[in-house]
Order: sequence, then C-alpha cells, then structure tokens
Amino acid sequence: MAVKIIESCVNCFACEPVCPSKAIYEAKPHFLVDAKKCTECEGDFPDYQCASICPIEGAILDSLGLAINPPGSLTGIPPEKMAEAMAELQSH
Amino acid sequence: MQLPVINDAPASKGGCSASSCGTTENQMDSLPDSIREKVQNHPCYSEDAHHYFARMHVAVAPACNIQCHYCNRKYDCANESRPGVVSELLTPDQAVKKTMAVAANIPQMTVLGIAGPGDPLANPERTFETFRRLSEEAPDIKLCVSTNGLALPDAVEELSKHNIDHVTITINCVDPEIGAKIYPWIYWKNKRIKGIKGAKILIEQQQKGLEMLIAKGILVKVNSVMIPGVNDQHLAEVSKVVKSKGAFLHNVMPLIAEAEHGTFYGVMGQRGPTHDELQDLQDACSGDMNMMRHCRQCRADAVGMLGEDRGDEFTLDKIEDMEIDYQAAMEKRKVIHQAIQAEMDSKRLEKATKVAQHKAELKLTTRPVLMAVATSGQGIINVHFGHAKEFLIYEASPDGVRFISHRKADQYCGGDTTCGDGESTLQVTIRALAGCEAVLCSKVGYEPWEMLEAAGIAPNGEHAMEPIEEAVMAVYKEMAAAGKLDNIPEAVRASA
Ligand code: SF4
Ligand code: SF4
Ligand code: SF4
Repeated sequence: MAVKIIESCVNCFACEPVCPSKAIYEAKPHFLVDAKKCTECEGDFPDYQCASICPIEGAILDSLGLAINPPGSLTGIPPEKMAEAMAELQSH
Repeated sequence: MQLPVINDAPASKGGCSASSCGTTENQMDSLPDSIREKVQNHPCYSEDAHHYFARMHVAVAPACNIQCHYCNRKYDCANESRPGVVSELLTPDQAVKKTMAVAANIPQMTVLGIAGPGDPLANPERTFETFRRLSEEAPDIKLCVSTNGLALPDAVEELSKHNIDHVTITINCVDPEIGAKIYPWIYWKNKRIKGIKGAKILIEQQQKGLEMLIAKGILVKVNSVMIPGVNDQHLAEVSKVVKSKGAFLHNVMPLIAEAEHGTFYGVMGQRGPTHDELQDLQDACSGDMNMMRHCRQCRADAVGMLGEDRGDEFTLDKIEDMEIDYQAAMEKRKVIHQAIQAEMDSKRLEKATKVAQHKAELKLTTRPVLMAVATSGQGIINVHFGHAKEFLIYEASPDGVRFISHRKADQYCGGDTTCGDGESTLQVTIRALAGCEAVLCSKVGYEPWEMLEAAGIAPNGEHAMEPIEEAVMAVYKEMAAAGKLDNIPEAVRASA
C-alpha cells in the first residue's frame, strides 16, 4: 500500500516535509514516493498528508492508481471549462 | 520590466510635494520619524530612492500552503511576481552567493527579498537559513519577505532575529465570504480546508501576524490584489483595518488574469481592473491610508534597476566562478551609497524649492492631465519610446505633478527579433497608454509618432535628459497656454 507521485508533479517541495513516514524524496525529473516507506499515513493522520497539501490535481495517485485530487477538485475550474480554454488557446 | 525589482520607485517626491499629492510626500509626512528614517531611502517605498537604489529577489521558497485563484502553482507566487513566470529555484547557499555577487557588482542593490516561488514562510528552513547567513555575511543589505500570512504568527519570533527591514502580507479581504471566492483551500493542521472555513482561518492568521509584527516593531506593508466584482468594493475596508493596526503602507495591485496562465480567474474569464478603476480605488483608499503607487509586480528572481533585467549576468554557473571579497565590496558600496545620498538630498532640496516657487506662481485652474514618461532611472527622461519596457504615469494639475503608476509596454522593437510583427505590438503599447494625453521620451520614431497622435496622445521628445517633474509641468503649462485643457472632453479619460 503506497501512494505514487507522477510526472505532473511540479517539484514544489510542499509534500516532502509533511510526510510522517519520510517516504518522499527529491528526484529527477520529479519527486517520488518510496513505496516501502509510505504508510498511507495510517496511524498518523486520517488524510494522506502529501495529497492534502499538493497543489497539482492528478499528481498523486492512490494504491489503485486513481488521482487522489481529481481534475477540478483543487482549482475549482470545471474540467470542461479548462478543456475549452485550452482548445481555444491552441487554435490561435 | 523585468526587474523592477531593483528599484522600484521613482521619484515623485519633489514635484509632487504639492499639497494635494497622495503619494510619497504626504505618505512620508504622516509617518513617525523612526519609520520615515527606514523608508526614505528604500527603493520600494520612496519614489525618488527608487530611481537610485535597487532591490532583488531570490527564489528559494518553492512550497505554498494555500491556493489563490489568481495563481497557478506551475509558476511563481503571483502575489509578488507577475503571473506566468518561472524563476530558477536556488538553494539557500546559492541564494547567498548570488546576492553577494550582485551586491558587489551593482552597488545600488540595497534590499534583498524572498518572495517565492511559493510562500516564503511555508518554507521556513530555506527562508531562514538564507536570512541568517545574509544577516551575518552581508550586514549592509536589508532583508524583506512577503507572505500570504497563514504561517506568519509562528514565524514572527524568528523574523525578529534577522536584519528584517519589513514584511509584506498579501491581504485581499477581511471577510471570509469574500475570501472563499479568492482562496479555494488552505493546508492547515494536517488538513486541506476548503471554502469559507479555510478563508476564515487564513484571515485570522493574517491579522494576528500583522498585530504581532507591529508589536515587535517590524514594519509591515500590505498588498492587495484588486479583483473587480469580488473584492473591489471591500478594499477600502481592508485599508482601514490594516492601517488601524499599524501597517505603514497599503499597496493595491491589479489582478492580472489570462486564460493562458491556467489560473481559475484566467480560465473562468474574470477580468482585471482597468487603469482608471485601479487609480480610482487607489485614490479612494489613500484618503485614509498611506498608499503606494510606484510598486510594480516583480519577478521572483529579478535583478536590475528600473526597467532593466540583469539577471543573465548572475546565472548559477556565472556566480559559481565569481570570487567575491565582500569586505572590500562593502567599503566600496558605502562610498557609493554616500554619494548617491548626497545627490538625492540635493535633488530633494532643489525640488522643494521649485515646488515652493510653483506655488507662489499664478494658479492655473485647468483640469488634471495624465502623461507617460520613458525613463531608466535618475529621475530624468532618457529612454527612446521604442525602447521603453515600461512607462511611468504622472498626473499634472495646477497643484503640481504626482506619480501615479507604472504601466508595462510591450516593446515593439527590441532590436533583436520581433520587428516583423512590430506593428501590433506598437498598438499594444499605445493601448497601455490609454488615458494619457502626452508621452515624454528622449526620442520618438516616425511611425509611432503618427500612431500616437492618431490615438490622441501627444508625442514629445523635447525634454530629453530633463528632470521628469519639471518636464511634465512644462508640457502641462504649454497645454494650458495653448487652451487645450478646458475643452478636451472628459471622455478621453473615460475611454481608458
Ligand atoms: S501517503 Fe502519507 S506516508 Fe505516504 S507518502 Fe504521502 S504523506 Fe507520506
Ligand atoms: S506537493 Fe505535489 S507538486 Fe509539489 S512536489 Fe509534492 S507531488 Fe510534486
Ligand atoms: S500565496 Fe503565492 S504561491 Fe501561494 S497560491 Fe497564493 S499566489 Fe500562489
């Protein structure tokens, strides 16, 4: 059981100090979770600490591979709005 | 402008000492002596010091503990930087080296700020190590820090141990319901807290931190981002609250929101304020607050004097190779600072005399006019229209000349690349000058000349190398004498 940081991570360092298990480390091209150390915060906190501070939707996955913070959940931008805006920008 | 940082404040002092001036002169007058002392040669607070001294930022603090709707965390903290900018993240050691290298090479650099790329106080170890070392190794550099305020109460004790000159808190509201429209969440006590509840905690922490700093005798400046339809009506109240608690300056900055920044406001189509709306709010707030008008949003890693970015001279590999003898540099800096001080003092005196003269002269009764000025510092008009990266906006009226704001230009001819699609960029620049009726520069090319005239902005290259306020006043008097001022419809301003 462990969470995973994927490539959308922006290397902001926010998660590293809040992990109670010292499972998160700086790496290239982005931060990583040591699956052997990650406890999913069990016994320490009710919520995954890394995913509670991470500002990037989708950057951290749970043990099933699902985004703990899905699109729209942190920024409040509805995903369709975001898609629309991006399509609009590309067309220029 | 890349770097504005370094010197941020132009001088309006002098010309501006007319009685109605809402800017520095009054601002300074109303401050207690101890604060005035600290502020008057500060590039960020004193408009004339901003022409002579510079500040820089180092990006050592990547993490943030809240989300603002005008920020995209792929970029730097939008509270102090322009949105959409990515700075090179430095370790505290690299930051200390860079700061000393810049200080040794640009003696005008007197203030070092940590402003990002996240929230400095959400990265206490990196931020405080940088401050601790600089306080010891470069004691002639003043330090400043800006924060969203969430972690501020816990940091006050440590801050008071360093050479901290002032702290900037970004406070956009004092009402949690408004806060919930600006801050979608905060990370607090091991939880992500959303909505009104999160905003309420943030506001409480900001206010508590403000009070604690004041109690410790540390100067506090407050920044607010003006978001039309969200907090624009509310900022006068914010101004009142923070002033009553002892903040010495309140700086209202415009929201910058573009879809390509990928921020909530950008994507959702929230607009920023117009130049007029911003100015009106600043005027409204300055009634009961020291209002800062010369602040430009800087990049978190900016280096340079007014309008220039010398960051390229101080990249990591370059500073790695520099041998800095800071003791020697400090001696040199001291001598240069004294010379600058002497020059500033004599200019201040000169301006004060001029203002007195001007007051004694016959009073005009004409309406005020906005003018744009292209300058690279020293308080004189010395930049070619096409090379100006930004313009300083001044208001001339029968009461004198006062500094209003900075506006960024899109350079239409950078000399290197973009002359091909130059025309549209020129139009962008002209749009940036909306509301101004004249633009004073060292020179204006033929093409922009015509376009400026067509846009109702009189180009003027006759005052090259002259002091700004005198030139602005001279042009104003010419306009008045030519009878241009009583007939021009208000609409000119309204169209900005
Ligand atoms: S889930 Fe908890 S233990 Fe696992 S990496 Fe995140 S913070 Fe650390
Ligand atoms: S908080 Fe998120 S974005 Fe920041 S380093 Fe950790 S995983 Fe990456
Ligand atoms: S405090 Fe700064 S870095 Fe944090 S979300 Fe707000 S603007 Fe962005």
